[in-house]
Amino acid sequence: MTELATELLPWVVAVPLVGAALTPAVAAGRPRLSGGWAFAVMLLTTAIAGVLLVELAQGGTFRYEVGGWAAPYGIELRFDHFASWVFPLAALFVVILPFSWRYLDHVMPDERRPAFYALLLLNAGGMIGFSITGDLFNLFVFMEVVSLSSYALVAVGGRGLAAYAALKYLFIGAVSSLLTLFAVAQLFVMTGSLNMADVALRLAEVGGTPPVMVAFAALGVSMMVKAAAFPLHVWLPDAHAIAPSPVSAVLSGMVVKVGILGMLRVYQVFFAADVLDLGAFNQALVWLGAASIVMGAFFAIFQDDIKLMLAYSTISNIGYIVMGLGLATPYAVIGASVHVFNHALIKATLFLAAGAIIHQTGLRTLSDLRGIGRSMPQTSAAMAIGAVAIVGLPPTAGFVCKWYIALGAFEADQAAFGFALVFGALFIFVYYIRMVNAFFFQKPVHEAVAAAREVPWSMRAPIALLATLCLLMGILGGIPLNFVEGAVLAKLAAGVP
Amino acid sequence: MLLFGLDLDYVAIVALFGIGLYMLVAKSNLLKKLLGLNVMETSVFAFLVTAGMVEGGDPPILVAGTGAPFASPIPHAMVLTGIVVAVSVTAVALALIVQIHAHYGTIEVDELKELP
Repeated sequence: MTELATELLPWVVAVPLVGAALTPAVAAGRPRLSGGWAFAVMLLTTAIAGVLLVELAQGGTFRYEVGGWAAPYGIELRFDHFASWVFPLAALFVVILPFSWRYLDHVMPDERRPAFYALLLLNAGGMIGFSITGDLFNLFVFMEVVSLSSYALVAVGGRGLAAYAALKYLFIGAVSSLLTLFAVAQLFVMTGSLNMADVALRLAEVGGTPPVMVAFAALGVSMMVKAAAFPLHVWLPDAHAIAPSPVSAVLSGMVVKVGILGMLRVYQVFFAADVLDLGAFNQALVWLGAASIVMGAFFAIFQDDIKLMLAYSTISNIGYIVMGLGLATPYAVIGASVHVFNHALIKATLFLAAGAIIHQTGLRTLSDLRGIGRSMPQTSAAMAIGAVAIVGLPPTAGFVCKWYIALGAFEADQAAFGFALVFGALFIFVYYIRMVNAFFFQKPVHEAVAAAREVPWSMRAPIALLATLCLLMGILGGIPLNFVEGAVLAKLAAGVP
Repeated sequence: MLLFGLDLDYVAIVALFGIGLYMLVAKSNLLKKLLGLNVMETSVFAFLVTAGMVEGGDPPILVAGTGAPFASPIPHAMVLTGIVVAVSVTAVALALIVQIHAHYGTIEVDELKELP
């Protein structure tokens, strides 16, 4: 089993990347085939990730040397508890892809589909590679694979506004990637190594010199831009709101987590090296998180456009995760780690349901969509479940994580932040009430809304599945919590969160 | 060579980075912003290349007449990869700018802002 899992590790990256490269060839002359091809590729990837997950649960972290070159000289892939996130990630793609088949009819002509699916697969492959690599430069390369495909995916809907939003995203994203490259170069100059574990060892000898601090700061800022924490969030709302809904689900649910995961990786290196006092930095993260929670939720209230509102709620939820990491107590870090996945699930539910509503009515503002709950009851119900989950009410997926993070705030003797967290949830609750009120308790003002019918089953099934999972993850929330608990506690004991 | 007590190459790299950042932030023309981004990228690449420099080192290619010490080849490989990434970013950005121009007829940010 160990043998097999180790040999499969590179394939979990290679399958989606090669699949992306082959998409135009497979779909030559039959553009609609590309959707099914992408689905098959992600299904295979999910199966591989599942094998890896089982191995991780049984035997712990394992590694693979790319090309047979031993670390620290070669590139090393490793599968640890943080990397295990590739399984739910691949699985979410499997659910989102069928939704996109029919959705794309209104977004682009058939002949552009192969490019779209190639980009989506590239995006998935990049995120998986980013999660499992043990090499700093490789981390940068995969970060750029994810970023570049995201820029293109934002613009894929055509029209000028999408291109402009994508270009703004590109400028900020490229500067943040550049900061990562600079920091990696700086660390390479200081230590002469690129392997994360090796850099940590050698940094301990170098000590906390100013160049090391600069590198750490550059990495921190870069990852927070990617994660869209509050003052660095400006690129997110337009880009996520304007992208086609399946893409919004991917961007908002998963691509922003690249920043979070990157932050965790940077932390692993610097905690192991133990050369910088990270207490002040942790405190900065907590403040950043609190600001994101409150401001994201605050902006969300004033949005009339449902997708823009969901985009702002992403900023708020990233705040929860960032705050959880910054609090650095067992409860908070466990909660934050699990929320990385649960938020992806909830956001996918919400964006797909919103996409279905926009697809059927052509309208996207709350005031226009009044009464949609009568004509599209199932989709609206899914949206309501997603909204309950994003507020964090029991018994949904959002509750367990936020509860853990709040407990962590009290555990860290920072009760004020626990209240900031509850305060943010109240803001989101206001928005949720507004939406439920508009959807279910008001009369339709548009004929399109009154005449709207439910979406076809290929779109309805993914939404129903995701909404069910939102509820199930609340009841079975203990499973992922217990899964990361051991790893988090072991690392906190060793000084690594 | 030293300037203000600092290595000249590092001073030049920081200056280049600053110039690029200024162009990216202050210029209104999208193409000029993109050029600024490219200048920034170049400054980081230059930093990486200088990292591989070894005093009196030979190019790391084994032919007759070369011997240790060798310049470190790793930064060069990294910069090559970095250049490929930068070219891809530039290509995507240019494609987006073409679309913006086709749709709005302008690539000036201050004019784009006034459009609905």
